[in-house]
Amino acid sequence: MGEQAFEFGLIGVYFMKLLPTLRLTLLIVVGSIAVGLIAGTLAALPRLYRVPILQRVSQVYVSFFRGTPILIQLFLFYYGLPELVEPLGLDLSRTPALAFVVLAYGLHSGAFISEAIRAAVTAVDRGQVEAAYAVGMSGPQALRRIVLPQALVIAVPVLGNLVIANLKDTSLAFTLGVMELTGKAQTLGLLAQHFLEAYLSLAALYFIISWGLERLFLWWERSLLRKQGVAALPRLGRLGRQALMRRFAQEARLGREGASG
Amino acid sequence: MIKLSGIRKKYGHHEVLQGIDATVQKGEVVAILGPSGSGKTTLLRCVNFLERPNEGELTIGDFTIQCKRARKQDIYTLRRKTAMVFQQYNLFRHKTALENVMEGLLVVQKMPRDQARERSAQLLDKVGLGKKLDAYPSALSGGQQQRVGIARALAGNPEVILFDEPTSALDPELVGEVLAVIRTIAREGITMMIVTHEMSFAQDVATQVLFMDEGVVVERGTPREMFSDPKEERTRRFLKRIAPEPIYHI
Repeated sequence: MGEQAFEFGLIGVYFMKLLPTLRLTLLIVVGSIAVGLIAGTLAALPRLYRVPILQRVSQVYVSFFRGTPILIQLFLFYYGLPELVEPLGLDLSRTPALAFVVLAYGLHSGAFISEAIRAAVTAVDRGQVEAAYAVGMSGPQALRRIVLPQALVIAVPVLGNLVIANLKDTSLAFTLGVMELTGKAQTLGLLAQHFLEAYLSLAALYFIISWGLERLFLWWERSLLRKQGVAALPRLGRLGRQALMRRFAQEARLGREGASG
Repeated sequence: MIKLSGIRKKYGHHEVLQGIDATVQKGEVVAILGPSGSGKTTLLRCVNFLERPNEGELTIGDFTIQCKRARKQDIYTLRRKTAMVFQQYNLFRHKTALENVMEGLLVVQKMPRDQARERSAQLLDKVGLGKKLDAYPSALSGGQQQRVGIARALAGNPEVILFDEPTSALDPELVGEVLAVIRTIAREGITMMIVTHEMSFAQDVATQVLFMDEGVVVERGTPREMFSDPKEERTRRFLKRIAPEPIYHI
């Protein structure tokens, strides 16, 4: 049985068949980002506050998840974790693969999220904190009222990239037998021997979700900036700086119009 | 009254402040002069513990703090009695002019919002920014930002306002408006300590001048004594460099 001739119409059919599976993929994304936000915050704190031993632990955690392929991490969690906890009297053999997937992706994202949090908080000008202290605020008050709102604006675009990367990474979950989008597409392609059509509709679906997420985060960033009077942002990466220059140019234009009007 | 005694600050082995004593009476304006690296900004930042002094005693009004044994709560109390105006303004970027002034009143003094708003608007009006209440710092000139900074400093009714080179980051044509505001509030009897390079301003507004070099107060006196007849060679050399034209008092 060889591969069938290309049928354009099948793309739409597969697309519709894939849609119900989207729920599972999004569940993995939402679940792992939630785990990642918690893990990322916990990992960022000791490094921001330079807590002696925990700082090291957090560094090792981040290095491990950044330095090894996500596929290997999935295998390690799925096959390794049950072995690891067995001596402790915990039986994970009945735990659904989905739980391992969410945990692995969550900790993976957490490593990157912790770096994003750390970078954003450190990027807030030291003078802002000093001004907060000078008016009499305590450390936590300064963090909550002055530093975090400014750090959030810096972190949102990075966070957006991480969520999109996470979405695409979930395409590996089928290797553990979780029937998310990619797994479903493969099955569909296999059944009718129309792989290309299946993968095209799969690509379209990922692209649409990614694009939607991109717009969503852009909108979030803009609305934060608007609320903060297009505050100037310090120290960003190259892409961030380019975006910033565009924004400054726009701001300058608005300023001129305001001045002449 | 403000009293500093034996204030010392070390960075590693380098002693930036080598035992500073100073007394500032209520309503006085103290100008702190000196070459860069002399420790004058560090001294100012020690007064509100943005830099923690290693040794010494600090009295502000009825509150005395032993620098070595200062606890968090002491530092908060101290900071509530002081305010600072920064060289780089350091306005909260994500807040409007009005919110910048209100912030301390709301968060630190727990003042009701309406009352804080009213007081802040009054203060901004006083520094000539009554029409800029809703402007964000990014939309204000340096001079305007610094005037918001001064309004923010006034808001908490501090016993002393610390000015750290308030005009050094400003374009020359904007210096005047800021100095005018400082002069006005000085006349109202608000106690101030000012680190500055504006000699004629210091001469005009200060009641006491401290000249610092290499972590010690080299000389102190009234502006008249200091500018027209400095006793110490180091002071003389510094003033000559800063103001080549001799300043005469008849």
